[in-house]
Amino acid sequence: MTGLHELLLLCVVLTNFWVLGTTRLSSTIRATAIQGMLLALLPIALHPSWSAHTLGLAGGTFLVKTVILPSFLAWAIREAAVRREIEPLIGYSASLALGAAAVALSFGIAQRIPLPESDSTLLIPVALSTVMVGLLVLTTRNKALSQVVGYLVLENGIFVFGLSQVERVPFLVELGVLLDIFVGIFIMGIVVFHINRAFDSLDSTRLTELKD
Amino acid sequence: MSQLLLAVVLLLGAGAGAVLLSRWPRLADRAYVTLLLAGAAVGVAEAVLVLRSGAVSATLSGSLPGGPWVFGLDPLSAWFLLPILGVGAAAGTFGVGYLGFERGHRPVAATHGLFIVLLLGLVGVVSAQAVVPFLAAWEIMAISAYLLVMHEHEQAEVRRAGLVYITLTHLSTLALIGMFAALSVNATGRSFTELGLGNQTPGSARSVALGLALVGFGLKAGAVPLHFWLPGAHAAAPSHVSAVLSGVMLKVGIYGLFRLMSLVGAPPPWFGWALFGVGLVSGVLGVVWALAQHDLKRLLAYHSVENIGIILLGMGVGVLGVAHGQPAVALLGFTGALLHTLNHALFKSLLFLGAGAVYRATGRRIIDQLGGLGRCMPWTALAFGVGSIAIVGLPPLNGFVSEWTVFQGLLASGASGEPLRYAVVGAAGLGLIGALALACFTKLDGTLFLGHSRSAVPGARPARDPGAVMLAPMLTLSGLCLAIGMLPVAVLRPARLIVAGLAIGADGGALAATAWQADAMRVTVLGGGLLAMILLLLMARHWLAAGAVARVAPTWGCAGAVSTPRMQYTASSYAALLLAAFGPLAGTHISRTADTFHSSVVDPVQDGAVLPAWRLLCRTGDRLRGIQGGRLRWYLLLVIFTLVALLFYLTKAGRAS
Amino acid sequence: MIIGPLLTLLLVLAVAPALPGLATRTRALLTGRRGAPVLQLYRDLARLFRKNVVYSRSTTAVFRIGPVVVIATVLAAAALLPLDGHAALLSFSGDLVAFTGLLGLGRFALVLAGLDTGSSFEGMGASREVTVSAFAEPALFLCLTVLVLATGELSLAGMLGERLAAVWPGAAPSLVLAAAALFMLALAETSRVPVDDPATHLELTMIHEVIVLDHSGPELGMILFGNAVKLALFGALVTGVLVPLGQLPRWLTPVVLLAGLGVVAVGVGIVESCMARLRMNRVPQFLVAASALAVFGVILLLR
Repeated sequence: MTGLHELLLLCVVLTNFWVLGTTRLSSTIRATAIQGMLLALLPIALHPSWSAHTLGLAGGTFLVKTVILPSFLAWAIREAAVRREIEPLIGYSASLALGAAAVALSFGIAQRIPLPESDSTLLIPVALSTVMVGLLVLTTRNKALSQVVGYLVLENGIFVFGLSQVERVPFLVELGVLLDIFVGIFIMGIVVFHINRAFDSLDSTRLTELKD
Repeated sequence: MSQLLLAVVLLLGAGAGAVLLSRWPRLADRAYVTLLLAGAAVGVAEAVLVLRSGAVSATLSGSLPGGPWVFGLDPLSAWFLLPILGVGAAAGTFGVGYLGFERGHRPVAATHGLFIVLLLGLVGVVSAQAVVPFLAAWEIMAISAYLLVMHEHEQAEVRRAGLVYITLTHLSTLALIGMFAALSVNATGRSFTELGLGNQTPGSARSVALGLALVGFGLKAGAVPLHFWLPGAHAAAPSHVSAVLSGVMLKVGIYGLFRLMSLVGAPPPWFGWALFGVGLVSGVLGVVWALAQHDLKRLLAYHSVENIGIILLGMGVGVLGVAHGQPAVALLGFTGALLHTLNHALFKSLLFLGAGAVYRATGRRIIDQLGGLGRCMPWTALAFGVGSIAIVGLPPLNGFVSEWTVFQGLLASGASGEPLRYAVVGAAGLGLIGALALACFTKLDGTLFLGHSRSAVPGARPARDPGAVMLAPMLTLSGLCLAIGMLPVAVLRPARLIVAGLAIGADGGALAATAWQADAMRVTVLGGGLLAMILLLLMARHWLAAGAVARVAPTWGCAGAVSTPRMQYTASSYAALLLAAFGPLAGTHISRTADTFHSSVVDPVQDGAVLPAWRLLCRTGDRLRGIQGGRLRWYLLLVIFTLVALLFYLTKAGRAS
Repeated sequence: MIIGPLLTLLLVLAVAPALPGLATRTRALLTGRRGAPVLQLYRDLARLFRKNVVYSRSTTAVFRIGPVVVIATVLAAAALLPLDGHAALLSFSGDLVAFTGLLGLGRFALVLAGLDTGSSFEGMGASREVTVSAFAEPALFLCLTVLVLATGELSLAGMLGERLAAVWPGAAPSLVLAAAALFMLALAETSRVPVDDPATHLELTMIHEVIVLDHSGPELGMILFGNAVKLALFGALVTGVLVPLGQLPRWLTPVVLLAGLGVVAVGVGIVESCMARLRMNRVPQFLVAASALAVFGVILLLR
């Protein structure tokens, strides 16, 4: 029977597919919220030691990824009054197919990357595939909020990757990740606010109008 | 062997009869058909004998340019001889009726003669056992096919198709010459037995030979991306010639690949993956492009690309099985590929003959202008329907048998180790190919034979079923499709023997000898049970409806509106939804203005890659022409420059040595 | 040896018309209505087989043979499934290809019977039906590939039989994903929401309903019964993958099978009440999502 951490990692991949396949922005935010919740449970599932370190990491992740960021993004959606993604660069079916190919690729190359032993054989492939899916969403979607969601998925992938190394570098990984997220929120807030104010919309294709 | 010689003589007699007796058309036709059928019967009997006894028949050699010309028949050649002669006889007979109308204004006798030359070239290719007769027969086959394609040469489209065809077929001949050169590096002579002795070609020469074989035989077989000569040539030729081109001539490419493997031994894994990839891509893209076509014969030609893809997929699985030490997988893959060559020859030629009958009866080839032909041409519709069900690979016909075998090979590879396991995703690809083929043939059958005619000309003579000389070959081929589908054991046994005889490690020694027989018999039970159930249910339905009266009413047209034939779905709109999902890959080119809409079909490889490259080459050539401006000074400078460069090179070489 | 599978097959055929009724009733109850009785389809079939038939003037023999082929192929496909978890009526290596091929033959006949009427409605429905099936077929093969990789068997009787129970713990995630994809495929193949709404009256929004627009009387009854049996077959597949019937004692398997069919039908009803029908160009996306799930299951087994 697969362990809890493997089950959580599989659900992370399923939320990636959810982000790729849905057209509604609120649905993508819900998917990242659930992904954040899964990632918050992951350290506890990997090292069931109930130490303060693990619990702190889990609690902080949960707070940031499942509560703060999604509610902020939901606020941004309400402010900008956007509902759906306009047709992305490569279409939803092609995005899903590329996402499946990214998962296949990451499972294929994960065995060949020279890395130290990790607790679960699924951590590295899932991390790689989440990073790739995040990059895919970031590059192919047109709305700025979708790109922010892609950036969050990318961060989640890096987080999973960091979890595989957490035994060796205490506290540094956590601090780095949380700082990343803090900086991310800061930039995201400024950018979204300014884009909305300048253009009355959050369509990033119109950023090309900046040059004249 | 003497029987094969007799068959050749009879065929030559048929050709001579058609040409020499052309002043008395009926006598010429009778002589032609009789001698053709006799020759084919003798040849097929010889082939079956070789297949059953499993022995190599006697060879006959003579002293001719390039060393002794050795001819012979082994089981592999005999397998390919079956479709050559069988389909050739059926198509030739059909052609007599098909071209009968054109006797006044076209050289029909010459066409019949050339058809015989084509058949003889094909027989020569599969029975040649040395390099030079192989290439000679290859060229005869290619050139006679070109002349047949140019039958209606007054049309610009036909001339263009012929030009593309002849250019590419010579490219393939060039590649084959290179391949044989690479294979003869260490060989003592030029016969196939001497080439294959001990597999002494060095590794690099073997890779070169395999690569050139992929290009040469793949081009002849019509694999993407070297397929773009196929649709033009097969659409331009007369329908009975298209049947032979599509059903048989493509298969000599497959024969060549099999023969090469028996010469060089087990190929390396990269060759298997190349065949697998090319097969999968050809299969999917072939059927997507077929969906987009408006012309009946071009559509059927693109389906040949798809089926060659399936054959290459099976061969790829076979090579991979051999390379990774899985003889059971290899046996299934190769057997499936061999079976599909025979089955495809049967149902593709049937479809082309049906297309010819439709063209003769209506004078049209654009699908969207036809309709409702099932009512006035019931036998043609029946034969075409059998061909359609067979090509989609549905039980209980023969397409199902070969696709089932290839599927078994693909799925069995999943039970092996890395990296052969990854081939299992080919099963999903093959499923996609089958579903797309179903879409295409429901479109074709529905638009052509069902409903009403979309462009009925008032007062025109209604289309009728063709005469017996054209109908008999179609019905014979349909019967063969059904027979093979219902009794797969009959073809599985010789195919397995041939694959084991290739001696590359694909014998099923690991498999229980009777397991496959039991499975094949159960397929027969399934087919028989299905047909029995259909008959029983039809009888029950008839009994149920015995007393009742069936009313006849107009088709429902939404509350009172009457539907006109013009309101029927056209083939283009039928396929539009599916093609839209494939985007620019489908090759449909849409031009839209405020009040018009026009969609045309392009071949993405030809019009997207080859023609722009050709135009670039021409432009570069035009620019380079400036060198030859006629000015003496420039010529002198060129000579001086070359001299200086040579001196420089010589000093460098001198310093190095 | 043949009695067990035969009896189970007859049981499934007898129960099959109740499944669409169960799905419709669940949907109605969840949307606040009473809904038609669960056994309504039995009454409909009885009524249809007693009725006279009206043929369209444009039709030929294809129209009359089509529904018969639909039923015959569905019954033949049912004979290939090991419904009692141990053996099927007919099984051979690679018979999953025959399973999909038989369903394809049924679809071929249905589509041609529809195109025979020369109506633009049927043409539209036929075009949509083959588009849906073009995307559903690779997904179905991927689900069956998951089973092949998990059990190492090449026949349906082997894949869904005793061997599956043995490998279930190890391959559970892939099998659950395959079952989810099979459920989505069941929705597509039997024309339920979100692929096609069986309760709509607008011809321009239908897929399956509009192909059979001109069928009446016993022909329509045959097609409705065939559709119900297809739902039962896919329900049996989903049940067989999630709860390997091979490990249960003989007397328990029909009970579990029927319970599984009921659960699948209720699940279809729940999905129908929660989702709206997808726009036509989103339906391939739905099926690509099912393929993606199945591909993920295959990847997990291939590593």
